[in-house]
Amino acid sequence: AEAGKAVPGQIGFQESVTPIMDSIEAFHNNLLMWVITAIVVLVFVLLVVVIVRFNAKSNPQPATFTHNTLVEVVWTVLPIVVLIVIAIPSFAVLTDQLTIPDGQRKYLGNSIFSWGEVEVPAPALTIKATGEQWYWTYEYVDEGQSYDSYMLNEEDRQSLKPNEPRLLAVDNELVVPVNTTVRVEVTASPSGVIHAFAMPSFGIKIDAVPGRLNETWFNARKEGLYYGQCSELCGKDHAFMPIAIRVVSAEQYATWIASLKESGDPETANATLVAAQ
Amino acid sequence: MADTTQHALEQAATHGTDHGAHGHHIPTGWRRWVYSTNHKDIGIMYLVFSIFAGVVGGLLSGAMRMELQEPGIQIFHGLAAMVYGLDGDSAIDAGKHMFNVFTTAHALIMVFFMVMPATFGGFGNYFAPLMIGAPDTAFPRVNNIAFWLLPFAFLLLILSLFFEGPAGMFGAGTGWTVYPPLSTSGHPGPSVDFVILSLHVAGISSILGAINLITTIFNMRAPGMTLHKMPLFAWSILVTAFLLLLALPVLAGGITMMLTDRNFGTSFFQSESGGDPVLFQHLFWFFGHPEVYIMILPGFGIVSHIVSTFSRKPIFGYLAMVYAMVAIGFVGFIVWAHHMYTTGLSLDVQRYFVAATMVIAVPTGVKIFSWIATMWGGSITFRTPMLWAIGFIFLFTVGGVTGVVLANAGADRALHDTYYVVAHFHYVLSLGAVFSLFAGWYYWYPKMFGYMYNEKLANAHFWITFVGVNLIFFPQHFLGLAGMPRRYIDYPDAYALWNRVSSIGYYVTFVGLVLFLYLLWEAARKKRKAPDNPWGEGATTLEWTLSSPPPYHQFETLPRIDSTKTH
Amino acid sequence: MAAVTRNHDYHIVNPSPWPIVGSISLFILAVGAVLWMHEIAPPWVFAIGVIGVLYTMYGWWSDAIKEGQAGDHTPVVQIAFRYGMMLFIASEVMFFVAWFWAYFDGFFMATDPLQYARVEWSGGQWPPTGVELFNPWHLPLFNTIILLTSGTTVTWAHHALLHNDRRGLKIGLALTVALGLLFTVVQAIEYTHAGFTFAGNYYGATFFMATGFHGFHVIIGTIFLAVCLIRALRGDMSPKHHLGFEFAAWYWHFVDVVWLFLFATVYIWGSWGVAVH
Ligand code: HEA
Ligand code: HEA
Ligand code: CUA
Ligand SMILES: [Cu+2]
Repeated sequence: AEAGKAVPGQIGFQESVTPIMDSIEAFHNNLLMWVITAIVVLVFVLLVVVIVRFNAKSNPQPATFTHNTLVEVVWTVLPIVVLIVIAIPSFAVLTDQLTIPDGQRKYLGNSIFSWGEVEVPAPALTIKATGEQWYWTYEYVDEGQSYDSYMLNEEDRQSLKPNEPRLLAVDNELVVPVNTTVRVEVTASPSGVIHAFAMPSFGIKIDAVPGRLNETWFNARKEGLYYGQCSELCGKDHAFMPIAIRVVSAEQYATWIASLKESGDPETANATLVAAQ
Repeated sequence: MADTTQHALEQAATHGTDHGAHGHHIPTGWRRWVYSTNHKDIGIMYLVFSIFAGVVGGLLSGAMRMELQEPGIQIFHGLAAMVYGLDGDSAIDAGKHMFNVFTTAHALIMVFFMVMPATFGGFGNYFAPLMIGAPDTAFPRVNNIAFWLLPFAFLLLILSLFFEGPAGMFGAGTGWTVYPPLSTSGHPGPSVDFVILSLHVAGISSILGAINLITTIFNMRAPGMTLHKMPLFAWSILVTAFLLLLALPVLAGGITMMLTDRNFGTSFFQSESGGDPVLFQHLFWFFGHPEVYIMILPGFGIVSHIVSTFSRKPIFGYLAMVYAMVAIGFVGFIVWAHHMYTTGLSLDVQRYFVAATMVIAVPTGVKIFSWIATMWGGSITFRTPMLWAIGFIFLFTVGGVTGVVLANAGADRALHDTYYVVAHFHYVLSLGAVFSLFAGWYYWYPKMFGYMYNEKLANAHFWITFVGVNLIFFPQHFLGLAGMPRRYIDYPDAYALWNRVSSIGYYVTFVGLVLFLYLLWEAARKKRKAPDNPWGEGATTLEWTLSSPPPYHQFETLPRIDSTKTH
Repeated sequence: MAAVTRNHDYHIVNPSPWPIVGSISLFILAVGAVLWMHEIAPPWVFAIGVIGVLYTMYGWWSDAIKEGQAGDHTPVVQIAFRYGMMLFIASEVMFFVAWFWAYFDGFFMATDPLQYARVEWSGGQWPPTGVELFNPWHLPLFNTIILLTSGTTVTWAHHALLHNDRRGLKIGLALTVALGLLFTVVQAIEYTHAGFTFAGNYYGATFFMATGFHGFHVIIGTIFLAVCLIRALRGDMSPKHHLGFEFAAWYWHFVDVVWLFLFATVYIWGSWGVAVH
């Protein structure tokens, strides 16, 4: 998989670039998938056995038993055990997601059965994302800067960003520094509707509810351009309000944010960024 | 018992003559149906209505699949242009909205007007009384209004399509979950009010149906039929009825709040005046989660009988099967917020709902394994109902285990509101509930109509549908894992492949659907007489002791259940 | 009962026009309501629906009463009616759960920092700033006493009926109906003194809808009892057979209990330590 977006024919998660998505991926790919595959295979095999051995031809005389305490206990207790095995890392993964780093706490990353091995710094940047019908407004809370981010329509995309994918390319991306913990506050305009801020490669998804300030965080380890899409039905252009995050080096970010503060215009800042890259 | 070779109507007529007075003449003509107080006739009306609704809902999903077959907007701007006479950009805008309207209508129709009327209304009405040895249901008039409210609820839903939703656009594009504020301030026109009242009316129908069947089961079991001897299908209907009775009023409350928010200025869901949009989600899912078990429990009941009948072996672990259903019904009431992991619930709340949700896998597993154990040692014949039942067991398991994946809030973070969820719930619904429904249909068809269906065609119907629906919905897991959000009219090009496969799957399924309709016509034309019990000694419940179709009034003398015999 | 060949005591009901008439009426009512609310059509469409529904109820229940008098309501059928009524009340209880839920959502979440719009609006307190509460120990207490008293009068009427004391039955019922009316009047007076509005105010919405639906049930219960009173005056109902009366009494007790919950939570608990007027 390629980071930041799906590739044609993809059947699994998008590439992970945060400790949170690492743990989701490990939890899903290395545990849940095996468990559910095993259960489905088990049921399938049992059905095949039954069909082959106990059809009317092979077994003309049906048995009459209706109980077997031992197997009944087994198939009650075994699933409980399996569920407990699932639940342990499940709670840990969940707790990581909902705990904003303080610089001390360790996160699971790939090792979902550990007590946490990955260091994550406390947030250095707070961004507020507001869902509107149908675009996002990003505010750099500490810098007092904000701007809107719209999907590029097909014409604009082809002329302005021909290498970016249809429906995902936006005019002004959210720009954040790499290896930095970013706190994201998510809401929707008070008179608006619910949206959801989602970024598959980061393992985050949180609803933007009018009047409610939800919170999540990420720490991306790889520079690049990442795409997500609005993930709560919000009206006719629900499919057309993507989220694009550009993760850049610390220096580039500094240049960019300085330019933004100076000009108050994301286009100018983005131009500076392109020049710097 | 009456002559088994007669058609229902003739039989009803002749049978009627040996009762003289007092309500025992058999009504004829349209009054027999419209004024009906006969549980079997009402059951048939439910089933006919359900088939009709299933075709409508299936066609709506066809339009959706045609749209999603390729990236870009394929058909909905054209549809909007056709229906509303728009063009250019306004047609595209109206088309985008129309897709959401179709999704909403598809779901509401399939849930409220196809599955529920078929399993609970249709089979529940027809067979629960027969299985417990009752002459009819407890409140025949209530039974009839529970049915007749449905077509009118359906009509209200259809009306909603022709009224304004958002300014300048028609219909409710809110999703079946009708979350505010999209459904309040986002849809100022009358459309959503029609949807709300449609749900109110459908809800009243279900509550009345539930009261009727619970009372029937508690009060009208034949002598000797204790609850612990009662067939599993009757049990499944009993549990389902309780879920309906206790869940639907909460939905009614929630959508009433929405109605007053929309029309009378209250602010239940309006945060600027102290309201809380998430409150609606709680109320909706407090109903919505039990609702999904309402859709599947009768299927559990049906499958139990079919598996036992065609294995020629009694149900394995009857009591465990009963209490598993009761447990599923009970736990189903305390897991609702697993649909709301991304709304901003606190960590502790999410932990609780993870744990509670996963618990349901245990009683469900008991059912799956007990069905297999029922077949184990049996002498199985693979008649059509059995094919659907085995298909059900397997496909429901697939859908169930992806539910367990979703139950983990940590994993659901990546999957919520993606096609993974769509895949999950179609496996339990369109492959679970619908398979159990067709299983029941073929199992009881000879009993209800007195004719045999065409076994070969019915087999083909099964196999075509089996291939079709798996093609539709299996690839949707891939789409969801790869991040494709649901309720999207258009998607990034990377998702093209699996969407195309999914749409092809729809066409295959559609062939199956047409074949099913043909099969109905063929069976009605050929009139192959069915025996009282076409399935042999494995079919042990009381309905098989009656003629096919059963007399207009059965059990004029109540059957006595042998106290030594078990289910 | 007419001679029949059937050998059971269940009631096989004759075909009836009421279900379809009722369904059509409810449909007209619903369509009329929407058209009226959106000022597309005058209220008479809605009114026709209401009349149809009332007519259905009248016709339907008249039939049921006649059947009862004709002897169709054998002991086993009477048990069925009891189940039916209890289940109906159970569903009503769940309906009220929704309204209490809304109330408690405000009550317990008034200070939830995530819900900034609500906190801003309410001043982070419950009752919200600007909302003046009723003194629970004035009219609400009075109403509580009224309802509790009416609970005893209806029981008195029941006992009288059981002992074939027709006079006691009539007086007890008449008193209950009068108390029910009094409750409604007092509630209406209370409403006119409310220190908050129905529209545009979450507190007002939850308060008026919860107590309003309760009040609506009081009115239904009063009508139900009044019907029993009329039947009693006409000499209907016997010490052995008076399901209609029993159900009116059950319903009345249900309404009573809902009130006690409202009184305890909304009025008393909700105003604990708060200035009231
Ligand atoms: C018939 C309907 C039906 C049924 C039966 C189920 C059954 C289950 N569902 Fe599903 N669900 C839906 C219909 C249904 N669901 C619908 C319609 C939605 C989407 C609504 C919307 O948003 O529009 C949904 C969404 C949904 C979500 C929310 C996803 C999201 O929006 O992000 C979740 C999360 O927990 C969930 C979980 C489950 C679970 C745990 C079960 C369990 O009951 C499954 C239990 C079964 C098994 C597990 C298989 C058999 C068991 C064994 C063989 C034993 C061994 C197993 C183990 C040890 C695991 N479902
Ligand atoms: C029971 C429920 C049910 C059933 C059967 C189906 C069946 C199908 N569904 Fe649907 N669907 C939902 C419930 C159901 N669905 C829900 C709840 C949603 C969510 C909506 C939302 O987001 O708000 C949804 C959403 C949904 C989407 C996602 C839309 C989006 O997110 O934008 C898609 C897309 O492919 C889809 C497709 C299909 C297809 C191709 C079928 C095919 O399987 C259809 C083929 C037809 C049948 C298999 C039915 C045949 C049955 C009969 C003819 C009745 C027979 C009766 C008797 C014998 C008595 N459905
Ligand atoms: Cu914004 Cu969906
Ligand atoms: Cu659920």
